[in-house]
Amino acid sequence: MADLFQLQILIPWFLCMLLGIFVGATPGLTATMAVALIVPISFYMPPNAGLAMIIGVSFTAIFAGDIPATYLRIPGTPASAAATLDGHEMSKQGKGGLALTLDIYCSSLGGLIGVGLLMILAPQLAAFALRFSHFEYFWLALLGLCMSAVVSQGALVRGLLAAALGILFSTIGLGVVSGTQRFTFGQIDLMDGLGLIPVMIGLFGLSEVLRNVVQRKNLSQAALPSGATLSHKIAWIEIWRKKWTVIKSSVVGTVIGALPGAGADIAAWGAYGLAQKTSSEGRSFGKGAIEGVIAPTSANNAAVAGAWIPALVFGIPGDAVTAIVLGALIMYDIKPGPSLFQENRAQVNSIFQIALLTQLFLIPCGLLGIKAFGLILRLRRGVIMTGVTIFSVVGAYTIRNSMFDVYVMFAFGLIGFYLETQKVPLAPLILGLILGPVLEENFRTGLIKSEGSFSPFMTRPICLVLWITLVIALASPVLYSFWRKRVSHGST
Amino acid sequence: MLIRFVGNRGDLSCCASQRRAPERGSVTRSIFETSTNRIGLQQANSNLMRQFLSLCIVISVAAWSGCSPQNGGAYPSKTVTVICPWAPGGGTDRLSRIFADLLRDQYGSQGSPFVVQNRTGGSGAVGHSAGALAAPDGYTITMITSELNTMHWMGITDLTCRDFQPVIQINADAGAIMVGKDSPLKTINDYLDYVRKNPGKTTLTGTATGGAWDLARAGMLLAAGLPVDAVRWIPSKGAAPSIVELLGGHVDAICCSVPEVAPQLESGELRALAVMADERLAEFPDIPTCKESGINWSAVGWRGLAVPKNTPPEIVKSLEEKALAIAESERFKQFMKKNGFAIAIRKTAEFTTFLDEQDEQWKTVVEAAGYAK
Repeated sequence: MADLFQLQILIPWFLCMLLGIFVGATPGLTATMAVALIVPISFYMPPNAGLAMIIGVSFTAIFAGDIPATYLRIPGTPASAAATLDGHEMSKQGKGGLALTLDIYCSSLGGLIGVGLLMILAPQLAAFALRFSHFEYFWLALLGLCMSAVVSQGALVRGLLAAALGILFSTIGLGVVSGTQRFTFGQIDLMDGLGLIPVMIGLFGLSEVLRNVVQRKNLSQAALPSGATLSHKIAWIEIWRKKWTVIKSSVVGTVIGALPGAGADIAAWGAYGLAQKTSSEGRSFGKGAIEGVIAPTSANNAAVAGAWIPALVFGIPGDAVTAIVLGALIMYDIKPGPSLFQENRAQVNSIFQIALLTQLFLIPCGLLGIKAFGLILRLRRGVIMTGVTIFSVVGAYTIRNSMFDVYVMFAFGLIGFYLETQKVPLAPLILGLILGPVLEENFRTGLIKSEGSFSPFMTRPICLVLWITLVIALASPVLYSFWRKRVSHGST
Repeated sequence: MLIRFVGNRGDLSCCASQRRAPERGSVTRSIFETSTNRIGLQQANSNLMRQFLSLCIVISVAAWSGCSPQNGGAYPSKTVTVICPWAPGGGTDRLSRIFADLLRDQYGSQGSPFVVQNRTGGSGAVGHSAGALAAPDGYTITMITSELNTMHWMGITDLTCRDFQPVIQINADAGAIMVGKDSPLKTINDYLDYVRKNPGKTTLTGTATGGAWDLARAGMLLAAGLPVDAVRWIPSKGAAPSIVELLGGHVDAICCSVPEVAPQLESGELRALAVMADERLAEFPDIPTCKESGINWSAVGWRGLAVPKNTPPEIVKSLEEKALAIAESERFKQFMKKNGFAIAIRKTAEFTTFLDEQDEQWKTVVEAAGYAK
């Protein structure tokens, strides 16, 4: 490990982690882009420095996405969409500093647990991931969609409406299964569907600006009047009280991250839903619940570690970042795949060490990022909102170098603004947009595979577990209220 | 302004680093260094920060000074955009980036940068259209790919290879049929016999419905005298999820290009029954071709450079010459070898005929497979 503590590794490492904070906190700039930029530079350096840069930037970016989500309700990356719920709610209650302190420590813990599982159980988890096929992914997506009820913040019917809208929007484009174009109106820009990131920037970023413009009185005040007081002691007491939530969410995050068909965004939602269902304070979710902050942020960093499992074990990328990393490893003469663990044990170990140390370095870098963001937010709200608008346009454009995505962003800014005036929650819409295609593609592909039979969906072992969980999750509130009625009847 | 700004960075950073570092390794130049060069470059690491700082200064000076006199006449006198129709990090992107870098070196005297721009979307249609519709002045080059031969037959776009002026073909990766290591099927004829006896029972995956390798398997079945629906095509998002499906035993076989499965083939997890190439591959000489097994079929995913139609012939000629020189260079060969990409060079004239032939081949397959619009 000592060979990692050299200036020529540490300096680019920290610089990239600071870059990760910037990239993650800026909607429209993604960790994938940052890694694609870094990889060519990293060939100029020893392999460990290059790997440290890539691993550093990908973990910090996922954390940093929570900063604007908490303060401004604008998720910096799709994996931070869940932080717009309880994290932002805490911020509105003046506890934004605590929410972000929880975020930074739980991200680090989630990452540590994720990397720990990667080190100890990578081959086993990879073998488990192999048992997931279309049938299993279908149930996983359905379980995820049921969370739209959880994240509806009380407005169940409106939440389901938003989820349905999200699914509808997700059908646009060239279908992977059918190979036909749907709702593209001959526009080649629509062929790959609506980009998740432009939609998200519009829904959360631009609509937030519009809301601020309508309530004009705020614009001349500081965006964050109370400043960002970080409360480390309270944060650690809370984390200790909710330690099981951290562990549970990190394990779920790692496993979901290891599935090639799912990533950090789904992991965050999955952990949020699980925490809500198993928490004694489930009803306070969406109203600034501490566990609602802890669960997704632990899970998304763990998922980044999880994505390395199929990459290292099979040589198959678990997400876009690991796809680029695999290309880089080949250039370093490291052949990822089944033989890596035997032939290149030293290299694998240094990847693990870098990943572990990154989780520790994340804390000072993250705190620096939170401080810097807090300083920016002392500016007048009008100035901040102008900045958000500029970054929204630039961010939407940079994803594909496409002006079309900027129009998409504007359109969804208006849609988001309108839906909020009608009290329709936006989180289920994002959930529908992410999970709609997963649900549909896996369902239809599964049916092609089974020649139209539904029985594999019900009888395969993992499917069985998944759908029974789903039935229990859906039935439990009904049964619970029924049981409570009987108890109260009995006592009177 | 932006163009000049980038142009200046190229000029000046090169001079700045030449003064200081003997190996001429400016930050921009060393993009995609191969490992042989890296050993030498490691010594320069202590210089990196200084170089980086000087680069920063150079960029800001260049930005402030604004304009530099344009080299009148000589191509290229400003930034050349290389459009990559596929996402960052993929094979086409990696190839585009190294080629852009090598082209810049070839035109070293002018020092104009070649900048890769990823224009993704529409299954490749967005990037290809942007490349074909650009001004025919040689300042927009496109890394065209085999989808150009198929997508117009399927009604995705009106764009064809005739909207481009081909420059050079760089690479061609053959498709192959892979099975798991424990599969009882040993040869491609075993496989096809099995398919013949159990029509519609076996599953095959590799790309989306109507994607390159879906069409390739349809062509193979037709060449073997089987109906296109003799095998059930399981749509997927690409090679990576398909390999997982095969390793997990959820499908019987996969069809995709050889470099995409090279790690699994080398480790023995997967076994290739046949490649869809005219000759055996240099990297995998043990895999028989479809042709030697009696199936007259080959399918390659190719990549090459093209410029918009009506680009001045002297620019096309110049690009062709430089690209041919690159193809001979050690750095290019090393890059291709490491990535498992097969080098397949066709000069402008041959590339043009090749594109026309491919267009005809895929027309037949797309129609027979029922995807024609």
